[in-house]
Amino acid sequence: MSSSSAQSVSILELYPDHLEASGERGNVTALRARLERAGHRVDVVQHTIGRRVPKDADIVVIGNGPISAVRAVHADLIENADALRSLADDGVPFFAVGAGAELLGGGITLADGTVLDGVGIFPFSARRGVPRQVGYIVVESAHGTVVGFEDNASEWNLEAGAVPLGVVTSGGGNGNGREGVISGSSVATQTKGPVLPLNPSLSDAIIRAALERRDVAYAPSTAHAELDRLAAKSREVIVANVKSVFTTI
Amino acid sequence: MRYIAPVLVGRAVRAVTRARGGGSALPGYIVNKMAPGFIKNVVAQFEYGVVFVLGSNGKSTTTHMLTEVLRGHGLTVFTNPSGANLPQGISSALLSEVSVTAKLKADIGILEVDEAFALELSKTLLPSTILMLNVQVDQLYRFFETEVVADMMLDTAAVATKHVISNRDDAYLSKIGEILTKKAAVVPDVTYFGASAKLVADSAHGLFNAANHREEASTAPLDALAELESWDSTGARIRVGGELADIALPAKGLHYGIDAAAALATAAQLLGTEFDLAKASAAFSSMTPAYGRGELLDFGDEKVEFVMFKNAASLQLNLDALPAAPEQVMVAIDEGTPDVSWLYDIDFVQLDHVDVLTGAKAWQFALRLEHEGIPVGTIEPDLKKAIELMRALPAPATGHKTWVVNYEQMMLARKIIGYGDMEVSF
Ligand SMILES: [Zn+2]
Repeated sequence: MSSSSAQSVSILELYPDHLEASGERGNVTALRARLERAGHRVDVVQHTIGRRVPKDADIVVIGNGPISAVRAVHADLIENADALRSLADDGVPFFAVGAGAELLGGGITLADGTVLDGVGIFPFSARRGVPRQVGYIVVESAHGTVVGFEDNASEWNLEAGAVPLGVVTSGGGNGNGREGVISGSSVATQTKGPVLPLNPSLSDAIIRAALERRDVAYAPSTAHAELDRLAAKSREVIVANVKSVFTTI
Repeated sequence: MRYIAPVLVGRAVRAVTRARGGGSALPGYIVNKMAPGFIKNVVAQFEYGVVFVLGSNGKSTTTHMLTEVLRGHGLTVFTNPSGANLPQGISSALLSEVSVTAKLKADIGILEVDEAFALELSKTLLPSTILMLNVQVDQLYRFFETEVVADMMLDTAAVATKHVISNRDDAYLSKIGEILTKKAAVVPDVTYFGASAKLVADSAHGLFNAANHREEASTAPLDALAELESWDSTGARIRVGGELADIALPAKGLHYGIDAAAALATAAQLLGTEFDLAKASAAFSSMTPAYGRGELLDFGDEKVEFVMFKNAASLQLNLDALPAAPEQVMVAIDEGTPDVSWLYDIDFVQLDHVDVLTGAKAWQFALRLEHEGIPVGTIEPDLKKAIELMRALPAPATGHKTWVVNYEQMMLARKIIGYGDMEVSF
């Protein structure tokens, strides 16, 4: 039975004090705004060091941060690895950015050769210390053109058979012409910061996957029109300025 | 006499580039190429040495405050123009001041210095005193990680020969005492400034300093020589040593109060027994607003208040300092701010609407505001047209319009409304 009446949707936000260094809070903001404009109630649960990851969530979000922050959350993440993997196994969509995504992957090899193990939700591993990519990025993906800002010195090596989020048409991405990795309905990306506000179709794909699990319908409406119009205009300017943005610095 | 030629060539180039309306960096560059010892020779003449002012936010304002406080004590101060904090800007500024024989009549040099160049510049300018203001999330597209910026400042502080003045309430900069005592070499004295615990706790968004994930917070509380106790629209109350002073601020806001405390602590250390809090207070009373920080400029029969931002911390703290939601607001932001990811870290509760949004990043700013349900009147990417839209609005009851601008849009907007002189003087 499909229901389109108002539902409460829970977003689990991992380590907001450590891994939202580049505005990734905006991804939660975007998901919340789109869900609320579709008539749903949103509960955001923040997981911080020392707490237990809850057994239930509809969407899990994690962001980017410096290596010192990655080290700071690492032990807690490993403590909660089983709970996170069980959410992933249940089909809960994850949206993961930068260093947070790397922690949810197979592991991070740092520039000095040491390895931080990950929790294995995404099928890739990261190698730090490669030449840095900074600037606007444009990616052609199954969810349409994804645009945003990247800032990383990290190469993502996907496991055999793993599917990237898309193909880079401008920017660096994983380092081999591809960007990010998907696993079921979960998305990991190197496009840092608030990528979801700029990319409504990606946001909607995650929301749909979350609500389909609960047999709840979701469709953007006129209440979303202004968000979508402003995102489209922002995207136009980013694509137009993709090569020139750094000439002013 | 060996510097006569480079100085004259530098001045000639300066005259040409100014006539063309170009930047001020080129002449300094040419002098550096022709006479590498030029700057070293000039700064060696300062009796009180050279002071570097470092920080993610507040460098220009604090440099200005410190300069005026020292002038109030009778010192002749050489300083660089607001924002001219890159190596070539600093040497250009020196060049415009020296005589043809490379003599500079000043007792002290107070220089705001870009963090990325501070350590390198210290080799030429040999600063005796380093003032560190704050480490905030700033220009990640340039610095990548905030702790990189922290280390640039901390490493520079270690070369100071006399005084280090640092922020007691900054998670990175408050470590400088511990860091310096671990070094075996000659250690400068370390002095702190700060804001009272109550003031920080009462601030809507705290101090907006960066979190330090690599070190534990100090357990022993540090004393601050100058501590901000309160601030309001007219000024700040600051305790310096055992004395309380009510001073006028050139711009309103918690961060400007803290900058004032930083300037007072530094002046007290530099001047020692010559420091006089009454003279310092008098200097604050006659201070003009710093460029783009609380200035009121003429706009037809009305006034425009510029609120400049360059990163999350400066935008949030400037918004927090607004006494109420501004009646008429323009926001201008362009690609001079390459990465605006941090807009999603800002609490826009102080704005109930924006009348006109302009600049290449206007759509991204509008998208952010739409997520908060804050209405935007018109989005007009062209600044000139946007300013005409603002002009067409009826006169506001407060008598002034508020323009929230990034640095590049501020410079353009000033030019459009008739304040185009790029040379800044205080
Ligand atoms: Zn208005």
